[in-house]
Amino acid sequence: MPHIYIDGRKIETQNGKTIIEAAIENGITIPHFCWHPELSVSGNCRMCLVEVGLPKRLPDGNFEKDSDGNLSISYIPKLQIACATVISDGMHVKLDSAKTIKAQEAVMEFLLINHPLDCPICDEAGQCKLQEYAFNHSRGESRFVETKNKKPKRTPWGPNVMFDAERCISCSRCIRFAKEIAKQDVLSFVQRCDKVTIRVSNGKRFDNPYSMNVIDICPVGALTSSDFRFKSRVWDMSFNDSICAACSRGCNTKIGVRNNEILRIEPKTNMHVNKYWMCDYGRLSMLPKLNTGRVLNPRIKQNGQTEDATWDEAIAYAAQILKKYKPSEIMFIGSGKSSNENNYTLAKFAKSALKSGNIDYYKRIDESFKDDLLRTNDLNANALGCTELGVAPANSAFAIENLATNIKSKSIKAIYIIDEDFDLNKELVDEILKAESIIIHSANHNIITENADVVFASSTFAESEGTFINVAKRVQYFAPALVTKENLHRMGMKLSRLDKFGAHNDRWTQKELRNSRPAWRVISQLAAQMSYNFGFIKAEDVFKEIANLFVSFKSMNYKLLEKHQGITLGKGDSPDPVIRNYESYYMKPN
Amino acid sequence: MNIEHNIERERMTFWERIYLPEIARGLGLTFRRMLRPKMTRQYPEERWEPLGSYRGRPVLVEEDSVERCVACGLCARVCPALAIEVQASETELDKERFPIKFEINMLRCIYCGFCEEVCPEEAIVMSKDYELVFTSPEAGIMDKAKLLVPIAQLQDRLEFVRRYR
Amino acid sequence: MNNLIWILIEALIKAVVILNVILLGAATSVYLERKISAVIQDRIGPNRVGPFGVLQPFADVFKLFFKEDIVPKASDKFFHSLAPIISLGVAVAVYAVIPFAHYVEIGGTKYYIGIAPNLNIGLLFILAMTSVGVYGITLAGWSSNNKYSLMGGLRSAAQMISYELSMGLSLIGIILISGSFSLNDIVIGQANWKWNVFLQPLGFLIFLVSAFAETNRAPFDLPEAEPELVGGYNTEYSGMKFGMFFLAEYANMATSSAFITLLYFGGWQLPFSPDLLGLAEGSIGLAVAQFLVFFIKVVFFIMFFIWVRWSIPRFRYDQLMRLGWKVLLPLSLLNVVLTAAAILIFK
Repeated sequence: MPHIYIDGRKIETQNGKTIIEAAIENGITIPHFCWHPELSVSGNCRMCLVEVGLPKRLPDGNFEKDSDGNLSISYIPKLQIACATVISDGMHVKLDSAKTIKAQEAVMEFLLINHPLDCPICDEAGQCKLQEYAFNHSRGESRFVETKNKKPKRTPWGPNVMFDAERCISCSRCIRFAKEIAKQDVLSFVQRCDKVTIRVSNGKRFDNPYSMNVIDICPVGALTSSDFRFKSRVWDMSFNDSICAACSRGCNTKIGVRNNEILRIEPKTNMHVNKYWMCDYGRLSMLPKLNTGRVLNPRIKQNGQTEDATWDEAIAYAAQILKKYKPSEIMFIGSGKSSNENNYTLAKFAKSALKSGNIDYYKRIDESFKDDLLRTNDLNANALGCTELGVAPANSAFAIENLATNIKSKSIKAIYIIDEDFDLNKELVDEILKAESIIIHSANHNIITENADVVFASSTFAESEGTFINVAKRVQYFAPALVTKENLHRMGMKLSRLDKFGAHNDRWTQKELRNSRPAWRVISQLAAQMSYNFGFIKAEDVFKEIANLFVSFKSMNYKLLEKHQGITLGKGDSPDPVIRNYESYYMKPN
Repeated sequence: MNIEHNIERERMTFWERIYLPEIARGLGLTFRRMLRPKMTRQYPEERWEPLGSYRGRPVLVEEDSVERCVACGLCARVCPALAIEVQASETELDKERFPIKFEINMLRCIYCGFCEEVCPEEAIVMSKDYELVFTSPEAGIMDKAKLLVPIAQLQDRLEFVRRYR
Repeated sequence: MNNLIWILIEALIKAVVILNVILLGAATSVYLERKISAVIQDRIGPNRVGPFGVLQPFADVFKLFFKEDIVPKASDKFFHSLAPIISLGVAVAVYAVIPFAHYVEIGGTKYYIGIAPNLNIGLLFILAMTSVGVYGITLAGWSSNNKYSLMGGLRSAAQMISYELSMGLSLIGIILISGSFSLNDIVIGQANWKWNVFLQPLGFLIFLVSAFAETNRAPFDLPEAEPELVGGYNTEYSGMKFGMFFLAEYANMATSSAFITLLYFGGWQLPFSPDLLGLAEGSIGLAVAQFLVFFIKVVFFIMFFIWVRWSIPRFRYDQLMRLGWKVLLPLSLLNVVLTAAAILIFK
């Protein structure tokens, strides 16, 4: 194993690595703009200049030592860029020498010459690499008295990305991303010197499914999201870790929330699943459903009208409905969009409590959605969880494909649905509405909830904790990001400053909280009403039972899942090692 | 407790320890005070015009009939009492960004002036307005319409801010 | 029998009139206090309610009337309500023996101005009544069930015991000179500028200091020392119960002023011979003149009380006790001995 010394600290590393990689693996961050671990090295920002040297060798092959017996190092007179310099055994790197610091300050001064003083209006402010380095590695004042260059400030590159040419520091991260990751090589530098800017090729748009990742990797605010633009300052939001529910890849995400409203979803680094990326569909498609059209309270249908009810009323009414039918006349429908906890509790309720094998979930296979990078053909985030936990019909005659015929033939009279809207597939929904009784857990209002007998306001993955199993059989944990009446006092939830310190009489706390609950809790309350006691008090209890009952979940628990960023099924005893993730910004609001 | 140093006998002369002459002196002092001109201002009739350094109600500077504010949110962040709430939005103007909602809760405001100090645009300043009476908590929440003040009325304060920043 | 009824009716009328005068006096004291404290502090003081703000004390009392009366849960409800009544009642009762002027003669009957100014134990009555006053404060402190209140009450009792002694002893000089306990006799004895203050300067000083302590006024207002005891004995009082303590304090101040006037400053005696005015003994005109003289003297002392309050800082508790026991008590004993000796020698 070769080793190098960074500021005298000995670091074990492998041959072929660059200095910056070796440093980051050991928790040392060398200032950089253009380098990114997943992109090729371009070495054009010059921020990672460091002093590099090797020990002097005497003609006889031994190392030269000074009078104190230390190795004498001969440093290369010109500084080297750490991102492109490959290590060699015994290499010495100086990060804190006067020469390195002077170089960093000079680079920063040059970058700031034409960078506008836009921080007050820039969405990147608060998580900006340039801001951080201006604070940590800069002289703190400019000697530039001339006027700054003017460039176009609002150029849309594509449907989701807006480009501000003035702020660009020409690091080329976005160009390399387009070429190497998104495989849509439409970006390039044009012009030279201080006129240099980035342009989309003539007649093209930067509209690939992963375009918004350039917003995250842009070290400054040159690239901003057309959707999020100016909605909130970074420091006004809270970021809770979650899992994307758009497809079965299960990309790790951070949900940005302010005032109990999801403003943006951004990728969280998980080297086993999505690395640093996430598709635009995952970022944008879920926001409207999560924020608007929500079922705020449980509702029951009486005299042909659905009206808000209390939880006790709704649960009692649902129990009354279920008791009317033979278990074999009830169809239970789980959801591939819902957590393992919810699906397991439903399966337990159907199979062990009511002794009905009529349980299945709605499948969403779309081959056109699939691509080579992250997107999969299964739009159900937790399809594997459903099958794994027994959301499957005992008799294939009662599979979901035959639901319509079963309803017609009256062999199914009541339907119990959790967190499923069947994509509002008209043919299927029309048939479902013909059933005698419908009980549904739903987060959003739709045609089914309008006609259902009981509607339980359901907490989505953004409001509850739970687990998903992704396409690669990885069990991943997600935590709530939004506050509901149920999880109001949950410990450890990150809240933005306003949400945390707002008093009950502040304007921004006036919004009524959703009175929603996750399906597992409602089902276990319903079961208790029908005198089956599940003993579930928190989501963790459900998962504990899953881990005890199913071999593939053995030894898993929430803490472990969080620590290892997910564990593959059956590997509860030997999870993947915890990796130190590369973070582009270290000053995060929370 | 035996105190031996700095006792009354050391600190005071005999006449001071007798106390009565000192009382008479004290009474004399307050009596002279009674005869001096009074400094009370008959408030509702006589009003005081504060100087530029006065920190009254925070207001938004209105320049060319539009607010200077770009809704950067620094005032809301620095506000120790969480009195300020800002919601930004996009505008066609050169400044790109403007506050679609800017509210100061005067029930929370403590007149510390941090918002003014932190503002990068000199868009929020402490005015000379010290007469803040409202009859309901809702009326205490001032929106943009109440906060915008033409720049001509704020010259004193802007000058002060520029000089002592 | 018939005679007795007439005496009772006469006493009742006098009592009603005098009660009103006292309460008016208390109101005037409040006004004076606010005004004088203001001028001492370079302010103007109340000037909005009525001309020059003279109606301010009434506004204050009305405010107190309409405020919520809060009684602490853990308090002794009965004594909590009784305490302010004792305080105010005693402060008012003292006026029964105070002569406001000499007398008027109508139809050969002498009507003395005052409810019972000729009571032959007037002086003792006053001493007794002022001592009862402390019960109000002590009970208030105890019944509130609050440590600050209790401390205030205890301080008041301790203060009372310490200063009552010197006060009583300082009065012995006057009794030796006048040979009577009746206040009217004492006043009559001071005619023609033979004011006791000149005969008894030391006694006067002791009495003055003790009077401050007895009325719980600054610099001896330790029972309600705000910095240490929140509000002292009246911490747990609100509304008109607090108002009664408030009035009692000012009534007490007026009593003490009247007392000082009667004992040391010639009471209702005109500073010149009544013949100068050409008014006969027993005429209404003379009585009015005497009353005015008395009133002016009393107001002067009320103002003096206020003036002292806004000039002199509060005593520390140990200083208060040392002054009472180690200074005033020996001095008052000395005063008794000196007076007795002088009377022996010169009479």
